[in-house]
Amino acid sequence: MSIKKKGFDRTTFLFIAPAFIFFTLFIIVPTISSVYYSFTSWDGISENVKFIGLANYKEIFTSARFGNALKNTVILTVFISIAENLFALALALIVDNIRWGKNFFRSAFYIPVLISGIVSGFIWKIMYNFNFGSINAILNDIGMGQFRQDWLGNTHLTLIMIGVVLVWKGAGYYMIIYLASLQSVSVDLIEAAEIDGANPWQRFKKITIPLISGAFTINFTLSLINGLKVFDQINVMTDGGPGFTSETLVYLLYKVGFNEGRQGFGTAVGIMLLFIIIILNTVQQKFLRSREVQM
Amino acid sequence: MERAKKRVKPADFLLLAVTIILAVLFLYPVFFALISAFKSNGDILKNPSGLPTSFYIQNFKDLFQQSDFTTAILHSVFLTVVSEALIVCIVPMAAYGIERGKSKITSYIYTYFLAGMMIPFHLYMFPLFKEMKMFHIFGTMAGPIVCYISGSVAFGCLLYCSFLKGIPLEVEEAAMIDGCTPFQTFWKVTFPLLGPCTGSMIILNGLNIWNDYLMPYLALPSGKAKTITVEIASFVGQYTARWDIVFAGTIISIVPALAIFCAFQKYFVKGVTAGAAKG
Repeated sequence: MSIKKKGFDRTTFLFIAPAFIFFTLFIIVPTISSVYYSFTSWDGISENVKFIGLANYKEIFTSARFGNALKNTVILTVFISIAENLFALALALIVDNIRWGKNFFRSAFYIPVLISGIVSGFIWKIMYNFNFGSINAILNDIGMGQFRQDWLGNTHLTLIMIGVVLVWKGAGYYMIIYLASLQSVSVDLIEAAEIDGANPWQRFKKITIPLISGAFTINFTLSLINGLKVFDQINVMTDGGPGFTSETLVYLLYKVGFNEGRQGFGTAVGIMLLFIIIILNTVQQKFLRSREVQM
Repeated sequence: MERAKKRVKPADFLLLAVTIILAVLFLYPVFFALISAFKSNGDILKNPSGLPTSFYIQNFKDLFQQSDFTTAILHSVFLTVVSEALIVCIVPMAAYGIERGKSKITSYIYTYFLAGMMIPFHLYMFPLFKEMKMFHIFGTMAGPIVCYISGSVAFGCLLYCSFLKGIPLEVEEAAMIDGCTPFQTFWKVTFPLLGPCTGSMIILNGLNIWNDYLMPYLALPSGKAKTITVEIASFVGQYTARWDIVFAGTIISIVPALAIFCAFQKYFVKGVTAGAAKG
């Protein structure tokens, strides 16, 4: 394409075509067909797919299992997003202000991000183990033996304990985004406020917070969407159990699709998930963006 | 710079102490995996928080003897390297087309890519596998590879497009005047200037591919070793009583990611922040 000429010419087409074809063929086409399959009783194996209208969606809105999965997803996602953002912001502030070892600590907090979902789930599963886990062993060693328990087996705690693993694994990622944002806050502004007599808390609240609200919007949206998609840790740690206490929407989708041969219903659950993600994104665009302060 | 001039305050020591405690908490699970990988199974069970007493590598020997972990490692490396090579061929070119051939159509294509970022993999995985069977790539390495390429298009374009805005047109114009075709101009002139961006994209994608579980688990043939993550997940079910072997596997999975992180730290940081700035 010549740089000055406007319009969609053959060269531009050739540049974009490979990516466009891959993207369309392996993301958009299966997405559109999943809309179709969500109206069928497809079992994933047989060739003849039976159209059953809205039956899957009817089941979604009436079945207790979907309701339970939705509730679990909301609890897990909200917990993760809030905890991750609090931790990430705290870590970013620490790394931004510490005098010694800035790079070392930044790396230390980022290392869990590098570990795969499966591996992080496995490590924590063993740490949580009642009889042989290190958490109970440490609690015993420091004389707090009365808090020892079956961390993943206690149905009140299961989801939160999975959430802890995800916060541990994710906080470093969001920290990097907060850190970049904090470092772009001009030192002059802070110093001007200091001269005007603002104390550190006031400076943080009135200057830093508004200026990093963009990072906050991004992180909150990203952590919500990532929270909705959690799969690996649940798979390796609890397999949705005990009972159904840690079965989220994604996990329900996977289980009905692969273990129960009801991929039609599974895709309908997936469509609901997509709706939730679209709504979250729209809210982010409309609501949070408008409150950001631009420099 | 401004802060360096200030004197050391007691608050600095307090902050350091808090940070050290937090860092210990954050690194403890990694440390736990590391010490457990060098302990016998009995030691892991009896004394989970204790250090290994000797340099014990039987776990790693058992891991390679009792399972086909070598194949799993080769598969992981193959998937990561081949996908990355193809991604680097395809994605920057698309971003270049969108950014430099700017028109209504390209901006629609850009929006189309970005909208696709919202679609969760779990939603379309069932029809995707059916489609892969249609193309006869289900159960082969090509299956995950084409999906990794497709999955990297949106984020890659976002990253490259924002980066391309900062590359001056003059260099490209000069190359074209000298008789380069658009493809030559891109690969010989522009692409080398996009180095940092390519670095970030390779590293973030590589980490995702290396750590991916669901795709290779479902799309590679069963009954054989798949990838490192899939093997580890299957050990957790299979060798419930042999944690030592699983820990040896986790260390093998973590070490390459860690080594690459240490070597190319700045690309991680750049990729994360550049993606967020536009995302």
